[in-house]
Amino acid sequence: MTDDIFSKALQDLLDAHCTPAVVRAVEREGHSGQAALGAAAAQATPAATDLWQAINGSGFANAMVPEASGGAGLSMADAFALFELCGRFVVPLPLAETMLVRAWAAKRGVPAPDECVGLDWVETSAKTLPQQPGLGAQPGRQALHAAVIAAQMAGALQRVLEMTLNQANERQQFGRALGKFQAIQHQLALMAEHTFAARMAAQIGCAGFLEFSAEVSSAQPCASDRLRAGIAKARASEAAVVVTDLAHSIHGAMGFTEAVDLQLFTRRLHLWRQTAGSESYWHRQVGDVLVNQHNGAALESLRAATDLATNSPAITS
Amino acid sequence: MLPSLQHTVIPPEDEALRGPVRAFLREALRDVPAPVRAKSWMGYDAAFSRALGQRGWLGLTLPTEYGGAGRSAMARYVLVEELLNAGAPVGSHWIADRQSAPLILKYGTEAQKRFYLPPICRGEAFFCIGMSEPNSGSDLASVKTRAVKTDAGANARGQAGWLLNGQKIWTSNAHNCHYMIALVRTSGEAADRQKGLSQVIVDLSLPGVTVRPIKDLTGDSQFCEVFFDNVALKEDALVGAEGGGWAQVTAELAFERSGPERIYSSMVLFDEWLAWIRTPEGKSAESTQLAGKLFSQLAPLRALSIAVTEKIVKGESPVVEAALVKDLGVTLEQLMPTAIADDLFSRDVKNVPLSLLQSLAYVTQVAPSFSLRGGTRDILRGMIARGLGLR
Repeated sequence: MTDDIFSKALQDLLDAHCTPAVVRAVEREGHSGQAALGAAAAQATPAATDLWQAINGSGFANAMVPEASGGAGLSMADAFALFELCGRFVVPLPLAETMLVRAWAAKRGVPAPDECVGLDWVETSAKTLPQQPGLGAQPGRQALHAAVIAAQMAGALQRVLEMTLNQANERQQFGRALGKFQAIQHQLALMAEHTFAARMAAQIGCAGFLEFSAEVSSAQPCASDRLRAGIAKARASEAAVVVTDLAHSIHGAMGFTEAVDLQLFTRRLHLWRQTAGSESYWHRQVGDVLVNQHNGAALESLRAATDLATNSPAITS
Repeated sequence: MLPSLQHTVIPPEDEALRGPVRAFLREALRDVPAPVRAKSWMGYDAAFSRALGQRGWLGLTLPTEYGGAGRSAMARYVLVEELLNAGAPVGSHWIADRQSAPLILKYGTEAQKRFYLPPICRGEAFFCIGMSEPNSGSDLASVKTRAVKTDAGANARGQAGWLLNGQKIWTSNAHNCHYMIALVRTSGEAADRQKGLSQVIVDLSLPGVTVRPIKDLTGDSQFCEVFFDNVALKEDALVGAEGGGWAQVTAELAFERSGPERIYSSMVLFDEWLAWIRTPEGKSAESTQLAGKLFSQLAPLRALSIAVTEKIVKGESPVVEAALVKDLGVTLEQLMPTAIADDLFSRDVKNVPLSLLQSLAYVTQVAPSFSLRGGTRDILRGMIARGLGLR
């Protein structure tokens, strides 16, 4: 599996260069909000610059650039594993968004930015280009942003679950580990359920967007891309509320301190929930597709949303 | 830590089953009203089951030599997804097709396979599951129903066998079934727990078997009490290993919990409601948002259910993953009637179609059973916790 090799390499890189201490330093420099959300280019502050140089030098920002243009040619579905890692390490720079921007620029022959940028770089750049579909248009860009944020949320949710399991196994009260109490076990089971659902939704969100696929040179963004992205962002945002709430409950006062890493993930999850549309925004969007654009049984809409993009032979009935 | 489930694809050869099944169902269910279809797999129709059997759609995953179709678990997923979404009355054959036949195929002798499997595939042999007892619900290992080995001399018919005594309860559809696969104690005492338990196939027409339906809160009589009073079973009533009952039941429950029936129990209602909120009279901003919320939860559940099915195709036994999907699935199945009721009764209901209100009334009442059948919420969360390494 190609993407396994890539994700292992990115994991090693982030292990070395995107430690919790680095995340704290970049956040202290003022990047915790905008930069991580992909809303603006990273400012040239020391910790952010060091981190970006390490990442940029590794070539990961070109992961989705077509191979003919010197990239690795990963599709959205392939790149899911990399986005997830960005969330797992709460990378405090818009690396995932930069991957998309570089791929978009390469496919259109536009000079790509060397810095780490958010998707709105495209908006500025697109003004100089003829009308461009997909990423160049606001609805497509918003859906793509939602999908890539949801994938990062999936990685962060998984990490929060692991940290909380660890806490439940290690922390002793009343003479036994917290995780031996049935009430705590059931809370962790619920966290796992939401984490699994959010991750699957995020995979669904990244299953389309064939404009980024190497095999498809001129795919238009399709309606189901927006449907899938909406499902991803809505479900991940719902999960974030439940999982962060239970994680803090089980961690107790220690989890409320600056010193314990949990806060890096839970604060980011809330920030990501508030980025690219909250769950209610996407519920309205998904509902609009379901109620106003689709007809017939919900199963057909489900198939359109969840079957892989290459596997949706419509059944006429 | 539990490995994540991967978004996967239904192979084209399995997808190919969808069209013919859907065409058949459109015809077969043409005149069945929604409130009846809303019963989903709690609807019973033996003739419908035989019609499926005639088309080769029962025992889909069983080898052809036993009357099956030799298809994969993914093909069965497609078939079952269509049946459930259409609200087909699949209750008669449901248990036999879902878990009894796979159990017999896995643990039965050649003679048992040849005897039981072909009629299951024809829709002529219906099975029920004898697990719960009056004092053994979630604590299944405490079953007291006992089968005692009898030698040839001690038996009126001069055959070695088993003498069965005890009682089962909450047995779905026992009054319409031919056989029960019962979990019973064949050795040891209650204190031995999982040791000494075995599974026996009980012909429910034998002398000494009494089946008494219990009326449920919807007014239906779907589950039963079953009494065994000195029921003489032949030696070959034992299925699988003597004393191996617990492991067999655990494997069986993976089949029971992994299917799409754990996400689609309220789908007929959802479709009825969706059709209404697409009309000018029924449309509202609130209902559109609610449709988006329910659908956004349903979509990843479907993908999770398919991912679990793929694990079964690969020969794995995804017991914990199945428990996780079931608990999530029934939560949504139960949210659907409550949320839809809130939507409809937040406005003037006089324009709401009667069949939608009737479907809602049924699903609202039956919904508590969703998180009881196949393992309660608390049992499932305990299993997930074990899978997470907490037990």
